[in-house]
Amino acid sequence: MSHEENTENLALLEEKRSSRRSAILMGSAALAGLALGRTAFAQSATVSDTDIFNFALNLEYLEAQFYTIATTGKTLDQAGVSIKGGDGSAGGTVTVKANAAVPFTTPLLQKFAAEIAMDEQNHVKFLQSQLGGSAVAQPPIDLMNSFNALAQAAGLGPAFDPFANETNFLLGAFIFEDVGVTAYQGAAGLLTDKTHLDKAVGIHNVEAYHAASIRTRIFQAGSDAQAASQAIAAARAQLSGAATPDDVGVGVKEGAATIVDNDDNGMTFARSTSQVLNIVYGGGPAGSGGAFFPKAMNGTIK
Amino acid sequence: MSNLEEILEKRRVSRRRFLNVAGTGAGAVAVMTLAEGCSGHDSSPTTPTNPTTPPTPALTDADILNFALNLEYLEAEFYLRAVSGSGLSTDDAGSSAGAVTGGTQVTFKTPAIKQYAMEIANDELAHVRFLRKALGSTAVSRPAIDLTNSFNAAAAAAGIGPTFNPFADENSFIVGAFVFEDVGVTAYHGAAGLLTDKKNLAAAAGILATEAYHAGEIRTLLTQLDVPYITYANQISALRAKAGGGAETTLTASAVVAADSNSISYSRTTDQVLHIVYLNATAGVVKSGGFFPNGLNGTITASAT
Repeated sequence: MSHEENTENLALLEEKRSSRRSAILMGSAALAGLALGRTAFAQSATVSDTDIFNFALNLEYLEAQFYTIATTGKTLDQAGVSIKGGDGSAGGTVTVKANAAVPFTTPLLQKFAAEIAMDEQNHVKFLQSQLGGSAVAQPPIDLMNSFNALAQAAGLGPAFDPFANETNFLLGAFIFEDVGVTAYQGAAGLLTDKTHLDKAVGIHNVEAYHAASIRTRIFQAGSDAQAASQAIAAARAQLSGAATPDDVGVGVKEGAATIVDNDDNGMTFARSTSQVLNIVYGGGPAGSGGAFFPKAMNGTIK
Repeated sequence: MSNLEEILEKRRVSRRRFLNVAGTGAGAVAVMTLAEGCSGHDSSPTTPTNPTTPPTPALTDADILNFALNLEYLEAEFYLRAVSGSGLSTDDAGSSAGAVTGGTQVTFKTPAIKQYAMEIANDELAHVRFLRKALGSTAVSRPAIDLTNSFNAAAAAAGIGPTFNPFADENSFIVGAFVFEDVGVTAYHGAAGLLTDKKNLAAAAGILATEAYHAGEIRTLLTQLDVPYITYANQISALRAKAGGGAETTLTASAVVAADSNSISYSRTTDQVLHIVYLNATAGVVKSGGFFPNGLNGTITASAT
């Protein structure tokens, strides 16, 4: 169920935010915008399908870079996937540590990571082909300072390297996948063309398959990994600014696992584009960006 | 990127064919065996069966949501019985609910697998309740459901063996769950395009993604179990493609996600879903069988093609 963002009394909302905020150890730098910089709740009145697909393309660039680097040590363009805009404009830089390929030790996980990398590359290429000349170039992406800032926000320490080992890779992947699910779910209702809707739903499903597999492996990785996922989920919920918490970490609740990131109606959460931006910008202001997109996204929704 | 290309190629190879099933058989199993040799056309990733074309012109959102409710009744009964030994309450099954055959509590040896099962059972129960509430007085009651003969027939048709009891042990349970989950994903994917009300679309998208989480979880567990369970799952996958049409991705350690070469999940029409849950590949009108011995309740109960 999508949350009705406009109905909540703003004072009450701010109170809720404050209480949640105080429960989390806040970082300083990239998340300084958290308290003040949250974007307006009102969804822009007229977004076209092209705007929405470009919004999705930005997210797919982020995911594809993360998994491609994690599995091969190469960036997308080094791996032969174009990050240029449909008008030929150049793609942005990627900030990431040197030699970032994850030292995988579990063949099953390594194969799955390669599969996700392929899926995300395919999503980039598919959206680029759908958008044609309207496709945006990849904006600058940060896969280093972003994770450090999010780790601070989640109370996980001053730094976090998602490429250091398998468990960190799972948690790094966890940060993206559920956000992707909520973003596509929110976007589905905005698309006007039925064919576009069908494709978006199909990508939405694939992101949910990824999220489930990642979360299952975090569950199996043990209580420390589960606790970290819960801290990250809480940070995402806080960043998103939803009226009620819209995120569930991996663990056990009343005898049942929480592999699925969903509500009491058995429904995954939907997020507005503003809520998604709040998360991937780490609370940085709309239009300016922060965290994973230090110079904001490219396109109309940014 | 050679390993990525390898995965992509495996998915291409694994993509099932739509079968133009002709001929008439005495029963579902016989029909599926006969269908082996029938010619088909490759399902192209860029031209999936168009899910936005309704099989009949006048389907309402209530028709679609009731169709989904039938599937949720099936899933809820399967998981609830597996974790607790008992199924939906009278309140949750409707005033004229059909009987449920089979379904016993699984003896889970691994706490984690029981916790996974508990979660999915909770989700499916929540889906039943949500849809019943959304539909109000137009909600259909639970149709008759068979969780014994259906699995046996599916196992025989899939070549797994003469019988299959998904409640026998925790690994068999995972295979049983596999039978449903990807079908739910494709069914909701197809249904999403048929819904007219944005609120209903949002609800369907929320349920659909939950089903995709379940499917991704079950498929992950199967890759970890390896043979013979992953083999059983792939035999079931082949049977689904044969009985209902629609594409499938053969499950391997490098192909956890069921998706086409654009990494977009598959979709099925209501007709295709009906052929699968009725375990009947016969082209044309099929009204009952398999998991629903008396057919579904509601408007969408018989396949048109």
